[in-house]
Amino acid sequence: MRRQWIFSIVVSLMIASLVLAACAPATPVPSTPEEVVQPTAEEQMPQPTEAPSVQPTEAPTAAPPAESKIATFAWTQEPDSLNTYYSDMWFADILQQIWSCWAWQYDDQNLPYPHLVTEIPNIENGGLSVDGLTITLHLRDDIFWSDGTPITSADFVFTYDMVMSEANAVSSQYPYDYLDSVEAPDDHTVVMNFTEPFAPWESAFWQGILPKHVLEPVFEADGTIDQADWNTAPTVGCGPFVFAEWESGSYMRFVKSDNYWLGQPKLDEIYFQFVPDDAAQTAALKAGDANLGTFPPLSDVPALEDAGLKIITQNGGYSEGWFFNFRDMASPAIKDLNVRQAIAMAIDREAINQDLLLGLTKPAETFWDALAAYGYVPPDLVPWTYDPEGAKQVLTDAGWVDTDGDGIREDANGNKLTITHGTTIREIRQDAQAVAQQQLREIGIDLQISSNDADIFFGSYADGAPPAVGDLDIMEWSDSTYFPDPDTDYWLCDQIPSDENPYGYNYFGCDEHLDALFRQQLVTIDPAERTKIIQEINKYIHDQVYWYGLWVDPDYWIVDQHLTGVKFSGVTPFYNIMEWDLQ
Amino acid sequence: MTKYIIRRLLQAIPLLFIISVVLFVLMRNTGDPLATMGGRRATRPEDRARLARQLGLDQPIYVQYVYWLIGNDWTKIDMNGDGIAETQGTRQGVLRGDFGFSLLSRGKPALDIIMDRLPNTLLLMIPAEIIVILVSLAVGVYSALRQYSLWDHIVTAGSFIGYSMPIFFVALLSMYIFSVNFKRWGLPYLPTVGMFDPQVGKTTGQIVLHMVLPIFAMTVITSAGYSRFVRSQMLEVISEDYIRTAHAKGLPYRMVITGHALKNAALPLVTIVGLDVPLLLGGAVVTETIFAWPGMGRLFIDHLSRSDTPVVMGILMIISVAVVLSQLFTDIIYGWLDPRIRYD
Repeated sequence: MRRQWIFSIVVSLMIASLVLAACAPATPVPSTPEEVVQPTAEEQMPQPTEAPSVQPTEAPTAAPPAESKIATFAWTQEPDSLNTYYSDMWFADILQQIWSCWAWQYDDQNLPYPHLVTEIPNIENGGLSVDGLTITLHLRDDIFWSDGTPITSADFVFTYDMVMSEANAVSSQYPYDYLDSVEAPDDHTVVMNFTEPFAPWESAFWQGILPKHVLEPVFEADGTIDQADWNTAPTVGCGPFVFAEWESGSYMRFVKSDNYWLGQPKLDEIYFQFVPDDAAQTAALKAGDANLGTFPPLSDVPALEDAGLKIITQNGGYSEGWFFNFRDMASPAIKDLNVRQAIAMAIDREAINQDLLLGLTKPAETFWDALAAYGYVPPDLVPWTYDPEGAKQVLTDAGWVDTDGDGIREDANGNKLTITHGTTIREIRQDAQAVAQQQLREIGIDLQISSNDADIFFGSYADGAPPAVGDLDIMEWSDSTYFPDPDTDYWLCDQIPSDENPYGYNYFGCDEHLDALFRQQLVTIDPAERTKIIQEINKYIHDQVYWYGLWVDPDYWIVDQHLTGVKFSGVTPFYNIMEWDLQ
Repeated sequence: MTKYIIRRLLQAIPLLFIISVVLFVLMRNTGDPLATMGGRRATRPEDRARLARQLGLDQPIYVQYVYWLIGNDWTKIDMNGDGIAETQGTRQGVLRGDFGFSLLSRGKPALDIIMDRLPNTLLLMIPAEIIVILVSLAVGVYSALRQYSLWDHIVTAGSFIGYSMPIFFVALLSMYIFSVNFKRWGLPYLPTVGMFDPQVGKTTGQIVLHMVLPIFAMTVITSAGYSRFVRSQMLEVISEDYIRTAHAKGLPYRMVITGHALKNAALPLVTIVGLDVPLLLGGAVVTETIFAWPGMGRLFIDHLSRSDTPVVMGILMIISVAVVLSQLFTDIIYGWLDPRIRYD
């Protein structure tokens, strides 16, 4: 009897679990609005200047397709939130072009084109004031939320208010805290007022608009939008797809919007399957269980290509490189420009790219290489070429000579040319580290290498992380500017970490000339003038060898042969998702 | 027995309190949840200060613990950073069933996040545990009763092979064989990842199909280990005097084995399974990760790696309570299996 009782409990638990798993609703499916406002006539639509080749189409036909076109994307990280202001994840933010919208988006050249606005503001069209203190946006008059409500300037003002509200725990108030105010003189005009010019505005503002008509009642009722259902179930959006459901840890589903103002996408549904394991992603792609994947292990690339999958790379602003430490605690050797230049000449970056990275990318000469379309690399910049004999000569001329015959050079005082190098435990980095150690040894430099788990390595000064506290002469990781903007805070003098500023992120040193240039470009509104300053910064960092690039670190996409029309941007990867199709 | 159960439950209260203090202190020192909130850029000092205040991370650790335990709705907190506590707290604390809000999926109750995953984990782990028990009992007993036979040697070799393989290897190997290669060879194949095929939908059949490989990967290794354990226990028991007596008094062979030998040999296995039960709630990290199964193991790792204290503490405390209860349950089962054990 008791056995039967235990058996019954176990069976009941199993059945309950099965039923719960099978029947539990994921985040709710959006209700279809009763009245759908269709995009208005074409004459009401000011055409974007360089929008992708997606033209508004007529209202959807009544008959559904015979077979739904459902694309499955393997997604190695599950988003934390779909409200971009609450998320800090690339895998969450890039979904914006699926279901949400930016004021302007970016094409496969990483150049901006107007999306919600009629044109991108600049001095010539009057959108940007000459003093750089006012930016005026003119919104298209045919843009709608997926429930048919028009997108207006009030949504932009509401977005600004929500980001800046002390009641909302958004991830960052950047760049909205550079604004003095945002005004909406009419439904289609947004005026942004600054107290001082802010050059990176184009790449920082309006990357996601919040629907005022959905979230304002929540804010008024709860005093915050932190707990708004919309953050994880945004049933109202402004992209070609509409959020349908999200089951924690399992999948996220978007369905074709019937009310998108640029027409209808070719796919019916997109299903993001969360596959956290790289090897499992590879298997799923090879088995045909997914149409798209990201960032494969490089060792899997040949097998994926053999299985008929295509590897597409797109610059996302990142480059793998060495940051040189010239703070007080750094070794005297690494502060010697001759030593840094010799190092730059002693590493065979081409071989590293061919042998370790299978030729999938290329050496990065400067920190701004990944912003190729913007011309931030000065034309007179002379790249470092692999020249070990020249490197030896530079060191000898600088007084670094091997006097005791142990293969390591010393200075006049007998101090060994020993340099510390640290990175994370990522395999490709450790491999590159080993190659560098060997190649530097050949010119008489002793490279002491170390690696830490990323959590430790990227900790703060307060945590005692090796880069932050200055334990390393050379630090390696992949990084970018505030892509697609060329700005970075990395070399600002007031960002050097200390007891007073434990979270500063300049682990490298203070060069006042460089600091002045960075501050100057930040307030230079004229793009041509700013580009010249960035070029000057770029050349200075390159020639001083404050940063030494190993390889451009692009986004990797794996696309199966059935998926067509696929292009990627490095900023807004799914910018042409309307054109994607399944054959 | 009732007194015993009540006494054990009362003893559990200070134990759980100490566990919660230790875990909370450890958790708050394992990482910085604000470090990555800046996304592409390091979190700016001004954002860090604001978020710390809004998320309650600027308070001393003992205050954070008190708020976590009993809530903060009895006091006011400073939300706007002017140094004056002006906003009434809203958290009720774990003792009143409020595990707080996730720091990552801000605004989402930690308990909701955990409960979203619990059914999936139980769905995977309960059948796996049952299969493990049945297979290990069957293999272990059969092997013990035919000691040194050819079949015993085969089973022994198989057990050692199974036990020596890491689970990620079994998981990936089975995925490549039964999914990738079977499909390539034109054979009926199993799905690689997830809980169902989106082209078909989330049906019971799909879920069962997607459970096959994860359960296989989990049971192969554990069954191998447990079957060795059962075998050695059975070998020990069947040489006991009372087994010989049972045979001598003419009891049927099957009754001797199942009614006397197995029941006694199973006692240590009950201990192990009793320890396994609370771990069922924790899920199987590696299996869930490889097969993209949305369970508690992955949830734990994902949130631990980003120092999401409310969710991680929620999971750990649920498991802690389960450990206490399962040990109590195990002791009760002992009494049922072995009448010599008395608790009163």
